[in-house]
Amino acid sequence: MSDAPSGLRRKQRDPWPPLRPGIGAWWRDHLRIARETMHFVSARLGTSLVVWLLVGIALALPSGLLLLQVNLAKLTAGWEGRPGLTLYFELSASAEQVAAAAKVLEADEAVEHVVITSREQALEEFRAYTNLTDALDLLSDNPLPASLNAALRTGLDETALAGLVALAESRPGIKEVVLEKTWLERVNDISRVVSRLGIILGVLFGIGAVLVTATSVRLAIEARLDELRVQKLVGASDRQIRRPFLYFGAFYGIGGGLVAAMLLSLCLVVIEAPLTALLGSYGQQLDTAGFNPVFLVALLLVGAFLGVMGSLVAAAQRLRDLEIL
Amino acid sequence: MAQIEFHHVSKRFENGQEALADLTAEFAEGSMTFLTGHSGAGKSTFLKLLLCLDLPTRGQILVNGINVTQMSAARLASYRQHLGAVFQDHHLLGHRSVYDNVALPLRISGMREKEIARRVRAALSRVSLLEKERQFPRYLSTGEQQRVGIARAVVTRPKILLADEPTGNLDPELSRDIMKLFEQFNQVGTTVIVASHDRDLIESMGRRIIELDKGAIVRDGLNFREQTEVQTDSV
Repeated sequence: MSDAPSGLRRKQRDPWPPLRPGIGAWWRDHLRIARETMHFVSARLGTSLVVWLLVGIALALPSGLLLLQVNLAKLTAGWEGRPGLTLYFELSASAEQVAAAAKVLEADEAVEHVVITSREQALEEFRAYTNLTDALDLLSDNPLPASLNAALRTGLDETALAGLVALAESRPGIKEVVLEKTWLERVNDISRVVSRLGIILGVLFGIGAVLVTATSVRLAIEARLDELRVQKLVGASDRQIRRPFLYFGAFYGIGGGLVAAMLLSLCLVVIEAPLTALLGSYGQQLDTAGFNPVFLVALLLVGAFLGVMGSLVAAAQRLRDLEIL
Repeated sequence: MAQIEFHHVSKRFENGQEALADLTAEFAEGSMTFLTGHSGAGKSTFLKLLLCLDLPTRGQILVNGINVTQMSAARLASYRQHLGAVFQDHHLLGHRSVYDNVALPLRISGMREKEIARRVRAALSRVSLLEKERQFPRYLSTGEQQRVGIARAVVTRPKILLADEPTGNLDPELSRDIMKLFEQFNQVGTTVIVASHDRDLIESMGRRIIELDKGAIVRDGLNFREQTEVQTDSV
C-alpha cells in the first residue's frame, strides 16, 4: 500500500481535478448565478412583467377556488341544523292515516320529533302568511293537504336517509315525501363542486404556467446562446449551464405567485361589501379563512415549483437541440 | 511519455467530408507546435477534437494517458478547465467588461472574488491590458480583443494552451507580439498548439511545425525547408 497522502494519490490518478472543489465553490456559483439571473430579469422588465402576469393569472384562479372552498367549508363547519323529512298526504287521507304515519316515524331512531300539520292548520297558516283570504273564500273546499314534518337526528348518512324515505313512502295516503336540505347543506354540495373544479382548473392552469415559463426560458436561452457556448468552452458543467435557467423559472414562478396573491387580494377587496351583506342575511360574518401567511408562502412555493418544472422542460429540450449539452 | 496523443484519428462529417484522415501524432509536455495547412486541411477540427467539442469518427485521443473521447460530461467540464483556448473571432462576451470576460472561467470554477481579482489582473498585465479592464470588448481594437481572449485562456494557468488562427485578423507586427506571448507561456511549461496558415510567421518562430492536407499530416519538422516527408504512421 502506498504511503502517499490520499490527496496526493488522488492527484496522481486525476490529471484534471476541479480547480476549486467543495461546497464553498458550489455555494459561490449559486450566488453568482442568482445575481446574474436577477440582473437579466430586471434588464428585461417588460418581458418579465408579462410572464409574471400570465403565471399569476394561471395561479390566481385555482387558488381563488381553493380559498372559496376553504371558506365554504368553514361556513358550514359550526352548523347545528339538521335535515328534515316532510310527508304530504293525499287530500283524501284520513286523520288516522296521518297519525299512524306520525307514530311509525316517531318510533324510528333517526327521528327526533314529528310535527303534524292538519289540512285546517295548513289553511290557517296560508291565510296568515298571504293576502289571498278573499280568493280562498271563493273556493268550495280546502285545497291544502295535511302534512307531517319530521326533524331528523344529525349525522345520518345517505343510506339511513334513503331508508327513512322508503319507510315514509310505504305508508298509505302519502302523496309525496320530500327530504329537505337546508341551505347550508346545499353550500356543502357547492363546496364539493368548487373543490373538484379547483383541482381540474389547478391542473390545467398549472400546465399553462409551466408552458408559459418554458417558453420564456427558451427565449432566455436564445438570448444567451453565445455566452452558453463560451461557458461550455471554458469548463462549465452541464449543471452549471442549466442552472441559470432553473433560477429563471423559480424567479418567474415566485413573481407569478406574488401577482396571484395581489390579484386575490384585489378580488377580496372588490367583493367584500356584497359578500358581507350576503353572509349577514344568513347570520354569518365575513371571515376570509385561508388567506393567511401560510397560504401566501404556499402560493409562492407552488409558483416556484411550476417555474422550475417549466425551466427543466425548456432547458433539457432546447440546450440539447442547440448541442450545448 | 507524450502528453497528447492522437492515434489513427479520423473525423468524417455528416455531409461525407473527411476533416481528419487516420491522423497519428504526439505532443510532449511543455512543447510548442504549430499546425498549418490550407483552409479545410483539418487544423480547426484537430483542435475541436482536442477540446472535445466534437467526437472523432474513429481513433483515440489520449491526454495524460486518458482517452478524452470517452469521458463523462462532468469530467469533460473539469478537463476543459485545465485547457486554454484562443480563437480567431475571440468568443468574447460583448455585454461584459474585459475584467468579467477574463474572470469567467474562474467564476465558473467557483473561485473566491479576491483570488479571481488577483489572477485576472495578473493575466491582463501579461497581455498589457490592465488599464482597460473596465472597458467593453467592442471598444477595443482587434489586437486588444485577441489579447483579452488570450488572457481569458491563460487565467486558469492551463496545462495545455490551444489557439485557432489567433493572428488571422492582425497585422504582421501584432501577430508577432501575439506569438511572442504564446512563446512566453510555453517557456513556463505550458504545452502550446497553435493552428495558423501564416507560414512566414510560424517559420520565424523556429518551433515544430505540422502541416496538414486533407486531414492528414504531410510534413512534420522544425521548419519548412528542413521538414521531412511524413509516413502514414510516423509521428
